[in-house]
This record gives sequence, structure tokens and C-alpha cells, in this order.
Amino acid sequence: MLVPVLGTIFLIVTYPFVLAIIQSLQATNGGAFVGLQNYVIGLENPLLYEALAATGIYAALVMPTEILLGLGLALLVHRTVKSPALRAVFFAMAIVPLVIPPIAVGVIARLIYAPGYGALNHILMLTGVIHDEINWLGQPITAMPAVASVDVWQWTPFVYLVLFSGFLTVPHEEIEAAQVDGASGWSQFWHIELIYLRPLLVLIIFFRLADVLRVFDHVFILTGGGPGNTTQLLSLYLYRVEFKFSDTGQAAALAVVVLVAVSVLYSLVTRVLPLERR
Amino acid sequence: MLLPVFAVLAVLYAFPLYWLLATSLKGRSELFQATLSLYPEAPTLQPYVDVLVDRGFLVLLRNSIVVCAATVILALTVGLLITYPITRLEVSPRVRTGVLNWALSLRFLPPIAVVVPYFAVVRTVGLYDQPLALILIYSLFNLPFTIWMLKGFLTEIPREIEEAAFSDGASRWTAFRLILLPLAMPGLLAAGVIVFSFSWSEFLFALILTSTPNAQTFPVGVQGLVTQFEIIWNDMAAAGAIALVLPLVLMVLARRYVIAGLTFGVVREK
Repeated sequence: MLVPVLGTIFLIVTYPFVLAIIQSLQATNGGAFVGLQNYVIGLENPLLYEALAATGIYAALVMPTEILLGLGLALLVHRTVKSPALRAVFFAMAIVPLVIPPIAVGVIARLIYAPGYGALNHILMLTGVIHDEINWLGQPITAMPAVASVDVWQWTPFVYLVLFSGFLTVPHEEIEAAQVDGASGWSQFWHIELIYLRPLLVLIIFFRLADVLRVFDHVFILTGGGPGNTTQLLSLYLYRVEFKFSDTGQAAALAVVVLVAVSVLYSLVTRVLPLERR
Repeated sequence: MLLPVFAVLAVLYAFPLYWLLATSLKGRSELFQATLSLYPEAPTLQPYVDVLVDRGFLVLLRNSIVVCAATVILALTVGLLITYPITRLEVSPRVRTGVLNWALSLRFLPPIAVVVPYFAVVRTVGLYDQPLALILIYSLFNLPFTIWMLKGFLTEIPREIEEAAFSDGASRWTAFRLILLPLAMPGLLAAGVIVFSFSWSEFLFALILTSTPNAQTFPVGVQGLVTQFEIIWNDMAAAGAIALVLPLVLMVLARRYVIAGLTFGVVREK
């Protein structure tokens, strides 16, 4: 029973990879064999490196922010909120942003940042912080932080929820023993709790990295990769090569390169994952 | 320290959602007033009617529901076909680990990397702009999570219960149907709800593999309202609000399982 099911899925998953390799070796028009030409064109294109840089900046903005904010919040709630009812309320509220479709999150962000109707400009002008509208999504300097802020808004609660449940797994005896020894709250956190949280932090990095690599929806809706190419993440760039430039050969070559790179990254991250694989 | 932090958070999270709702309840004339109003002065449901009826998004909503429901059934069926043997039959640990590792690696795979070949395959087999193409692909991309979650639920059900049935002469299928399945039902429902919500949110494949209301899903419609030359804010907000209601309700119902689902069962809420 297992064999036919897995076999079928294996085919469904593997065939496209094989096809991508074949496509990457063919000319987009006519399908003649062109060797590695598509790879050369793809890898020589400076837009690829701009996309890689944009993805790197995005990840560097988003991941540390989410992890630090989520960790700080989890610590704060764990230490100061003792009422189970209040904790349940925070839990339910933290679920909300996680389950909103990224497209809808993009719509919301548009309503906040857009020129003309955006609430952020309106509020800043009402309070006298600025006097002229700022085109948040239209300027290279502000577009990336604006797009990244949306990710932080949606995914910090995820980090919070995972780490908060992590704090609950720390054995009371250890904390009590430390308190008897006169350990400060800070050293409790640093020497005991953080040790227990470490596997969860690895887990968070794994899932957030997987998601950052596939970010597409809200950026597509907010900036479409612009202004210029400042927010053109890897996924948006590949989309553009295939569906705007209609260069299937180059897109396939890039897809193969991305697959190989992601596989390497995966094999590095997965070794340290605290998952029960038996 | 707690109070100011939560006041700030409440504003950061509540205001954007409020603003979406407020905008979706504004009449069209209110959009073009010289000064922006932070609340709808004459609340109306007209934008919802505009989106669903005049723009014909009801059809997209139907497509989304059909695609997601079919995905749930297919993903859970295949998920069970894979997790039942690895948790219940004598399968070598290597196969078991192999399956789980493979599912995990699929989670890390960026969809954009397979979009190019999938696009070609879907066109070749005549599934372009057909809901079936989305159902198959969504099922595949939801499998990693389904496998890991069902594996967790199935291992928690003691084997002894089934073995008792076997010794009473029940066949494997009967034991599965009458004993395991009812016991696994809460887990299956939770996984189903989450698969439904994930599929509901999916945008990239829907954008690429559909072109008409024959198969377009709701997120594709929402996107069409956003990238227009002139954005009709209240319609866009109404569409966004409709897009988020169903997953929100479903996931709040299944909230105890959401984090387990997102972390492949590592983090369990009690």
C-alpha cells in the first residue's frame, strides 16, 4: 500500500525537477538544445544578484526582529501574566494575524501605507509629525522596511506562541533551585530558560527561513518588486523572468540553481532540527 | 511595563484590522473627500455587494470553496495512506525516517522553484485554468504538514486497542474503519481545517495556473482589485475582509492545533 502511494508522489515531485533540467538546457523558442547557455545568461544577469541582495536584506530585517520581539514578549507574558484566563486571551489574539491570508494582509498594509488613502500618513499629519505625505511604498529607502514590517506584523505572534509554550516546559524545580541560590531574573533567563528554548529557536529559524524564501504574495500586492528593483525578492524575480519576460529557458535554469541552493541550505539546517523522525 | 507594551500592541494589531473594516463600510463618495475620515460616516454594505455581485466574485468564492474542500479530502486521504503504514504496520525504521525526512524537505521547497515546470506540465495535460490543477498541487504542498500531523495523532492511539479487535476476528480494514478512524477523528478534523485555511490563502499557483473565473480563486480576484491603475479602496477592503473571514473563523475554532500544525507537531498546546 505504501509503495504505490509513495511511488506516485515521488514521480509527481521528481518529474517536474527533471523537466526543469530539460527546459533549462533548451532554447525558449523552438526548444533546440543550447547546453548551458541559459545558465550563463541567467547567472550573468545583474538583476539576479539584486534579487538575492533584496532577499538577504529582507531576511536580515525580518528574522532577527521577529525572533527578538517574539522572545521578549514571551518572556514578558511568562513573567508578569499569571492569570490563565488572560494568557488564553493573549493566545487567541496571537493566532489571529497568523491565519489571515497573506493577500488580505497585503490589502491591509496597502490601506495603511498607500499614498492618498493610507492611514499612516493621515495619522502622522494629524499629529503634526510630518507635513507632506510620504510615499512609503514608492521610495527605495522606505519600501523595503514597509514590506518587511508586514512580515513582522504577521509572524512575530508565531515566534511568541512557540516560545511562550517553550517557557512552560522549563522545569519548576530548576527555577526554584536557582531562586534559592539567589539568581536574578536575568540569569534565570540566560542560564536556564534559554537552554530549554534553544531547540525551539532552531525550529523557528527553520520555518521562518522556509517562509522567507517563498515570500511572494504581500510583496506582489504592495510594491510588485519596486520601486526599481528594491523589493524584488527572489520569488518575484523568478516570476518576472518566466511570466513577464517569457524566458522559460532562463527561468528553468534559475529554478534549478535555486533548487540546488535550497537543498544545500536545507541539509545544513535540518541536521540540528529537534524533530522526532522515528 | 506590561501595560504600555500591550497598549502599543493592541493599537498595532487592532487598528489595521479596524481600518480594513471601516474602509469596507464606506460609500464610494466618502473615498474622494478632501479630508480622510477615520470612520465610515454613512456605513453601507454596498462595497460587499459590489465585489460579490457586480464584479462577480461569488464565482471565485465558489471556486475557492470547491478547490479547498477537494484538497482537504485528497490531502487527508493520501496522508492517511502514508501515515497508517508507517505508524501501524511493520515498516523498517529507515523507510519511516525516510518518509518523514522527505516530507520535511518538501516543506522547505520554495513553490516558485517548481512553478516553471508545473506550468509546462499543467498546460501539456490540459489542466490549465482548471480547478483540478490547483487541487492536485495544493494537496501535494499540504502533504508534508498533513503527514507530520497525522503521524503525531496516530502514534498517540495505542496499538493495543486495534490488536484487541484483531483477536476478536476483525480484519485490518474493519479495525481501521470502526476503531482507529473514530479515535483519529479530532486530529483529522484539525488537520483538515488547517489544510483548508492554507489552501484558501494560496496565491502564487492560483495566479499562474488560472486565467478566467472558470478556476480563479478568491485571492486572485482580490489581487486584481489592488494592482489596478486606480484603486477603489472600499471594494478592495471589502474583498480583503471577505478573504480573511473564513480562515479566521476556522482557525479560531481549531486554535489548539494551529501551532502544532505550523511546527509539525513539535509544539503542543494543552
